[in-house]
Amino acid sequence: MKDDLFFNLDHGYAEGLCRGFKSGILKASDYHNLVQCETLEDLRLHLQSTDYGNFLANEASPLTVNVIDDRLREKLVQEFQHLRNVSYQPLSTFLDYITYAYMIDNIVLLITGTLHQRAIGDLLPRCHPLGSFEQLGAITVADTPAQLYTAVLVDTPLAPYFIDCISEHDLDELNVEIIRSTLYKAYLEDFYNFCKTLGGITAEVMCEILAFEADRRAFMITINSFDTGLTQDERAKLYPTCGHLNPDGLQELRRTDSYDGVRDVAARYPQYKVLFEGSGTNTGDKTIEDKFFEYEVKLNMNAFLRQFHFGIFYAYLKLKEQENRNIIWIAECIAQKHRTRIDNYIPIF
Amino acid sequence: MTTIFRSEQMTSCQLYLQPDAAYSCIAELGELGIVQFRDLNPNVNSFQRKFVNEVRRCEEMERKLRFLESEIKKDELTLYDPDENPDAPKPREMIDLEAIIDKLDHELKEINTNADALLRNFNELTELKHNLSMTQTFFQDAQQVRIGLSENAHEQNVDIDDQYSSTMATGMKLGFVSGVISRERIIGFERMLWRVCRGNVFLKQADIPDLIEDPLTGEKVHKTVFVVFFQGEQLKNRVQKICEGFRANIYPCPENANERRELAMGVMTRLEDLNIVLRQTHDHRQRVLLETSKTIRTWIIKVRKIKAIYHTMNMFNNDIARKCFIAECWTPNSQIDTLQLALRKGSESSGSGSISSVVNRIETNQQPPTHNKLNKFTQGFQNLVDAYGVATYREINPMPFVLITFPFLFAVMFGDAGHGLIVSIFALWMVIKENTLKKKWRTQEVWTIFFGGRYIILLMGLFSIYTGLIYNDVFSKSLNLFGSSWRVKFDDKTLLKSDSVFLEPNPTIYNHTTPDQYRQMYSGNPYLLGIDPVWQLSDNKITFTNSAKMKFAIIIGIIQMCFGVILSLWNHLHFKHYHGIFAEFLPQLIFLVCIFIYLIILIFYKWSTYQGKDATDAPSLLIHLINMMLLSYPDSPPSSTKIYNGQRGVQTALLLIAVICIPWMLLAKPIYTIIKRRKRNNHLTVTNPLASNDIEMKNHNADEEIDMSEVWVEQGIHTIEYFLGCISHTASYLRLWALSLAHAQLSEVLWSMIFHIGLSMNGYIGGIASFMVFMPWSSLTIFILLLMEGLSAFLHALRLHWVEFQSKFYKGEGYPFVPFSFKLILEETPPDS
Repeated sequence: MKDDLFFNLDHGYAEGLCRGFKSGILKASDYHNLVQCETLEDLRLHLQSTDYGNFLANEASPLTVNVIDDRLREKLVQEFQHLRNVSYQPLSTFLDYITYAYMIDNIVLLITGTLHQRAIGDLLPRCHPLGSFEQLGAITVADTPAQLYTAVLVDTPLAPYFIDCISEHDLDELNVEIIRSTLYKAYLEDFYNFCKTLGGITAEVMCEILAFEADRRAFMITINSFDTGLTQDERAKLYPTCGHLNPDGLQELRRTDSYDGVRDVAARYPQYKVLFEGSGTNTGDKTIEDKFFEYEVKLNMNAFLRQFHFGIFYAYLKLKEQENRNIIWIAECIAQKHRTRIDNYIPIF
Repeated sequence: MTTIFRSEQMTSCQLYLQPDAAYSCIAELGELGIVQFRDLNPNVNSFQRKFVNEVRRCEEMERKLRFLESEIKKDELTLYDPDENPDAPKPREMIDLEAIIDKLDHELKEINTNADALLRNFNELTELKHNLSMTQTFFQDAQQVRIGLSENAHEQNVDIDDQYSSTMATGMKLGFVSGVISRERIIGFERMLWRVCRGNVFLKQADIPDLIEDPLTGEKVHKTVFVVFFQGEQLKNRVQKICEGFRANIYPCPENANERRELAMGVMTRLEDLNIVLRQTHDHRQRVLLETSKTIRTWIIKVRKIKAIYHTMNMFNNDIARKCFIAECWTPNSQIDTLQLALRKGSESSGSGSISSVVNRIETNQQPPTHNKLNKFTQGFQNLVDAYGVATYREINPMPFVLITFPFLFAVMFGDAGHGLIVSIFALWMVIKENTLKKKWRTQEVWTIFFGGRYIILLMGLFSIYTGLIYNDVFSKSLNLFGSSWRVKFDDKTLLKSDSVFLEPNPTIYNHTTPDQYRQMYSGNPYLLGIDPVWQLSDNKITFTNSAKMKFAIIIGIIQMCFGVILSLWNHLHFKHYHGIFAEFLPQLIFLVCIFIYLIILIFYKWSTYQGKDATDAPSLLIHLINMMLLSYPDSPPSSTKIYNGQRGVQTALLLIAVICIPWMLLAKPIYTIIKRRKRNNHLTVTNPLASNDIEMKNHNADEEIDMSEVWVEQGIHTIEYFLGCISHTASYLRLWALSLAHAQLSEVLWSMIFHIGLSMNGYIGGIASFMVFMPWSSLTIFILLLMEGLSAFLHALRLHWVEFQSKFYKGEGYPFVPFSFKLILEETPPDS
């Protein structure tokens, strides 16, 4: 109650901005028009009539999907950073927390890139600008996780998450994935606890979203680890423990070794049961990943139904990312003349 | 019939255009700006329309032009505005234009890439130069330490501490890397080096004093030269990686002093060469841009016109069978001849004059747009009216009345001749300098608001001077222009005895005064204009002015509301809603007359019959009005006893008539609708045999069936709103008095609290003090009294017009006429922005 009273004092402007940005998210009718486009030029013409305005107007023809992708990301980053700049504590910490996920992705991207002998100069532009930090470029110095920690990460907010990974010996492909998962697990749990301490509606909304995120990771780690030689215990270490699956579901997941087993575990949780039932591996069916995305969109949409909380900032970023993925998907389908699957985007409204 | 009181009569036209001639016809119409096209393909996507390719080509040209313009601006060249309005080019000229623009775009891009490459080279060399000169000092420092040691020692073994000697002892070679890094990264860089190499490196750094351009981004940044000394290959790798990660530019630096000197010399000569080449490229670029800057504005206008034309043509219906475009548009009746002429001209200029385009008037049940003929004087006032809602087609436009009443009501609230004078002078300046000011500060929103309303402000100022004279208020002081009608004729003894004395017009009447003490002090003729300045000195000034201003407010308000109701009669007559006159106009007017006009009559009666001598017996009109409603006529006190004979009868009759008006207005219109419907039903049964008609009629009836309950509800709301509104609106007009009181009091406070301080001191100090307090007084006058009070009076005047006045007759359900006009399109996005 007290928080509601004083919320607008510090965060009212940012919330208003965010809700304003949210109203620019493409509607079903926009998607309907987008999928009818014959060329990328049509796409540009149509996007002009939406909230994107003429963000592509200064690009020379012919347009490529990469350019669209860059511009979309640029716009999103600009909006987010504007929100970050006008935010007060604790909202600014909250927004920083959101960027940590991008930092993890960037670190992993760079390490995998260097494993494949790519030049750092080529890799840096591909990093997500939201997750960039000063020492990012020097990541290639590190050969072992310990070095990575002491040289690069110790000054970054990710340092506490990394402590569990130091024991790993080499930076090979599998280890990198394990590092990513461990980092992510620590990050999610930390973020979850942070939202808990914020309390109020923020905690209610964000914990729901983050719990789903944790469960999704647990499911995906299990499904992807079947033929990789990852032992059950190793796998269990990577499960984020802040989800609805904890603790029983995670124990079950640890023991399963087939897709059907995972499905059985999910069947005990009504919200996930529906998702697994709706998905399939046949062509034309929706994959479980798409189902997860749809559920995520739904959760994020729900965040906007309540007021005076920070969840909308997270939700907005995620929705906008989904929208960008949709536009890119449609653009790719148009560019590659592969129109049969053009409808496989995930509608937001 | 054209009249300033209504919007223009509009016609819906269908244009049949030959495909060849369509373009030039539309171009002609765009120059004229007299037609508003209707979109005939609202369901077609923007990228599926016929001329989407042309529009796209225009956008491509616009993009290139924008690029050229930004390049011109980057070089700070002036852009020349075209002297005359260039015509929209022909479609075939468009290709030439495209080619020219494309060529320029290409050329400039090429120059830019060349220049960029050169510049990068140049910047790198500059960095290298700095690097060399800075490291030189590091090495020289080291040299001094090393004095006495043999020549073949490695010059880079430059450390100052024991590390140096140990290195020498083991004969190991120290490697080094030198480069340039941006200054804000140096701290992180140093820390990272320390961590990764576990402190086994030595970093020397020196700031480059001036800003230098970064070779990659071309931005001017602060940079720092650094040298890292280390031992062994492995460390070298790491250091290099870190440098890469921190985006430091590494430059080779020879170990030998002589080599360094040679390299530095080489760099200097190369820099000079590059400088020459760069200057040449720059000159070339300047020439190209200068050439472009002369014509670019013309091109921009041309391209925008082409785009607008194709955009309009996208709204047309393409009749394939008859090989023509069909356009539908609205145009004012008076302009149809011009329209036809323009089409003929367009067909001729396109060369296919054999079959000219056809204009066909069509009947439509769509509501036409509202188009008022305006000039720069009336524009501002029309905007005030339109902000509430654009007039329904052919409805009475309140603008001509608002033109006078708005400044007047404003002035009643703002009444101060001094303030009014300042406002008028400011507005007059804007009006006189109109042409030069129009182009200035276009992007300043606040200024454009003031400038757009310059004529409103001018009238407001002039009217304020008038009301200020009536109130006799000039900066809260009174002017004794015509000589006060009052004289103080007391002797000094009386004046010294008491704080205040009574001035009485006719002292002999009163018992408590004696004629020798109170001589005749009133000249017998009232002051010529407004309030007598003697009131300025009196204690009961506010009581007096309040009473007067309150009555002014009521009189003005009720007259304005009556006028509004009478305007509704005009609307009823024009739209031939004769039933509206009997069902709405009459009860409304009668109600207003019976109660409120009667009140005004009483006010005038009171003013004219009661003199100073019977001031205590004067009736209190407020009590009288309340008593009239309650039908009570008490015998005491004297202020509420009857004013004239037969008052009771007259008032009861008036009240009765007024009350009757309420059910009259509530019932008359719905009953009329019912009767009309019944009549038509009877009629319908007679004409039943015509089957087709029957269906039509039934459809019609179905609509009415739904309408009936709505009619009741609507009329109920309307009735309640009007009758309650009459009372609350009358009270609402009291804001005229309230704001005027507030304004007068505020300016008086400002005078007595601030300016008075200076004026009340004696001698030289008083002069200085007056000088000192003038500044705060004048600035507060401007900011609080003129700006804030002015804004508040403006808003209240606006409210009185929108709510109290316009609600009596104005529907405001129309939509504005937006003609297809190049002028509007070009103004919309001025080339400066």
